[in-house]
Amino acid sequence: MARAEGKLKELKTAELRHETGARSELVVRVNRRSERRVIPYGEEFLFEKLPVGTRVIYPPPPLDPLADADQAIRYALLHPENQNPLFAQLSPNMRVTIAIDDLSLPLPPMRRPDIRERLLNQVLQTLADYGVDDVHLVIATSLHRRMTEAEIRRVVGERAFKQYWPERLYNFDGENRAELAMLGKTEHGEEVWLSRRAAESDLLIYLNINLVPMDGGHKSVAVGLAPYQSLRHHHNVATLRDSHSYMDPTRSALHRSSDRMGRLVHKSLNIFQIETAVNTRMYGGMLDFLHKNEDQFSDWDRTRLRGFQWTMRNLSNEMRRNVLHNYAAPYGMIGVWAGDTEAVHRNALAKVFQQYAVPVKGQADILIVGVPYICPYNVYSIMNPVLVQCTGLGYLFNMYRNKPLVREGGTMIVCHPLRDEFHPEHHPSYIEFFHRCLAETTDAVELEKNFEREFARNPTYIHMYRYGNAYHGVHPFYMWYWGEPARQHLGRVIAAGCEEPEVAARLGWEAADTLDEAIAMATSEQGRSASITYLHLPPLVIADVE
Amino acid sequence: MSVYGKKKALEAQAPLKPQRRRAAFYDLDGTLVDLNLVHAAIYTLANVGEWSGRVSYLLGFAARIPRIYAAEQRDRRLLNTVVFEAFKGVSRDRLLSIGEEYCERIVIGRLFPRALELIEANRSAGIEPVLVTGSPDFIVAPLARHLGVADFAANRFVFSRGRSTGRLAEPVMAGEEKAAWCAEYAAARNINLADCWGYADSHYDLAFLAELGHPVAVNPDRRLRAAALSREWPVIHFETAASSAQLFDFGNDRERETDREREPDSEQSTRGSSGAG
Repeated sequence: MARAEGKLKELKTAELRHETGARSELVVRVNRRSERRVIPYGEEFLFEKLPVGTRVIYPPPPLDPLADADQAIRYALLHPENQNPLFAQLSPNMRVTIAIDDLSLPLPPMRRPDIRERLLNQVLQTLADYGVDDVHLVIATSLHRRMTEAEIRRVVGERAFKQYWPERLYNFDGENRAELAMLGKTEHGEEVWLSRRAAESDLLIYLNINLVPMDGGHKSVAVGLAPYQSLRHHHNVATLRDSHSYMDPTRSALHRSSDRMGRLVHKSLNIFQIETAVNTRMYGGMLDFLHKNEDQFSDWDRTRLRGFQWTMRNLSNEMRRNVLHNYAAPYGMIGVWAGDTEAVHRNALAKVFQQYAVPVKGQADILIVGVPYICPYNVYSIMNPVLVQCTGLGYLFNMYRNKPLVREGGTMIVCHPLRDEFHPEHHPSYIEFFHRCLAETTDAVELEKNFEREFARNPTYIHMYRYGNAYHGVHPFYMWYWGEPARQHLGRVIAAGCEEPEVAARLGWEAADTLDEAIAMATSEQGRSASITYLHLPPLVIADVE
Repeated sequence: MSVYGKKKALEAQAPLKPQRRRAAFYDLDGTLVDLNLVHAAIYTLANVGEWSGRVSYLLGFAARIPRIYAAEQRDRRLLNTVVFEAFKGVSRDRLLSIGEEYCERIVIGRLFPRALELIEANRSAGIEPVLVTGSPDFIVAPLARHLGVADFAANRFVFSRGRSTGRLAEPVMAGEEKAAWCAEYAAARNINLADCWGYADSHYDLAFLAELGHPVAVNPDRRLRAAALSREWPVIHFETAASSAQLFDFGNDRERETDREREPDSEQSTRGSSGAG
């Protein structure tokens, strides 16, 4: 809540910008003299005029990063929440497993040193100081693709990599039955499976990055180190339909389920959770104009935008992806906490909401979002149509607390070229899912009933998940279910700038050549007085809708 | 109101529909086993008789190398024909015993462990394995027995008075003939090819793979890899799963270097693509 006026004056400027009451300037109305707006459009950015009266919601500016991140980590390890300090929990003959968030966080991947490298260096040093030798580092991929050697090296840093790869530093394998252990069932009958190495360790240390409030907490261990047998209890249509929204853990059945599982895990394991939060400094240097309100663009900003657009348009697909995916974000760490999972996560959540939350009054009839080139499941890969669906309806629609940004039965306009493009080595089951399953039905219940188990148990997809770099066979189903609350809520989805209308049709969407056409289509149904909201990205924003 | 009409009530998970019959068609050389047709031919010819006979057969084979190379550039069927011409005069009994020996001593030891794992996993999922290869039947038959594979298609010699004529019986298992055989096989057993899986390593197998509903490129040569990526077929690597980790495929030079080392250009290869199947 906003502080009293007098109190605000006492704050430094940087802090003042982050007071909730001071964030009203982040919601602006487009008028006749307003500048065009930057809208992510796959691997490009549009610069489009929005109708007069459109409400634009901007992300809050980045919080100042911690002045000395390493010192803050050291402090967190020495002063954990509701637990003894890390060093006090160690003894020489104990077995320790360190689980690490995979490359789906943060987005885009951050500049080196990665937060995980910083955390790892201090944790490993502490373990070494206290004579703990039996240490394994597990990348908590769950059913995500295995990270490659180069990707792991980049995340954990040279020191840990040289010391532990590959025997004691590896990806979690959710299909290696010998390496899985069942810990029991929750009171709701949910089977809790976990990495056997983690389950049989005297101490499990989890290193997390919270990019959005959906991350972290019990979800880290109970999902990150769990196989299909566990995930199917919450990654399903019924649970996700009851999540309003994923970004609000208090109203998310997904989180309630993973919390139940996590508590059961806690009964069997000693877990030392380390959570971090990053600010919204997604783009820096030549691209820092992407964070700005376009009405405040300087000529230099416009020139850079034009130059960036021209470059992206004129590069080949391969080159363009190379350029974009090799971009590293200058994220700054804004908080680090260690200790008991729930206490740690409470702190992390508070900080994440402090960074992202913007108060917004009322819902809109039409919501415009731009889907960028990256989502958690296509780092160094292709944003295929199923992932566009997941990012648009699954993530961007859910960037709210209390009520969705768009009213029930409203229209969502998703800006993306929507090409029939897939990465056959990363997303093999997506291809069959898109061309076979979605051709039969787009109904999530039908898909779950008729196809999910077939894909989950498909030997070739399992082989590619275990030994290649493919997402698990069931993963495209989860991506589809992810969009389920939005599908239940919305009346219409229109893909603006869609290059292949048949792709939009396959997703159950309508296609429009341009954003103007999409807006015209939406207003033809909603009426000319329909209210329009544009959720401005990058970076990210969570709307507290009154 | 919803994008997809009325909200559907959630139903309890129904049991899976009864599975239709499905098959997985596997190429052999370069796909399941790290060997090729030339290796099999040399081994066989080096063991067919007395020293003089062996030398004679091997010299005859050596004399064919330019033709083999030229055939390999043009057509897989022609390659098979040229390679098997060298077997003219070898007795059927000898071929059978050498085939057993070659399979036992060489082939079984060179099977990719993960290929075996996949065959078993497919079998457990109700997908029956079938071998479709250009290798000769006297080698494939004992291997099929070893793998517990009931059906296979391989190249067969035409024999005259118990000796090989050096000619192959029709259909010669290469390229489109493989696809045609699979279609016939499926039709005879009421199997829908759209439900079947195919695994092969060479661009000569494009027609074969394209015939099936679920084509998979295994350890693909350069041209098959390009075709698979453009057709969005899954690509898997049996031999070097660890190094296949470098799969970021957007102009990653290092990966391409690795690929070149791992999967030599089919036109210059002495492995995989120079063998049939």
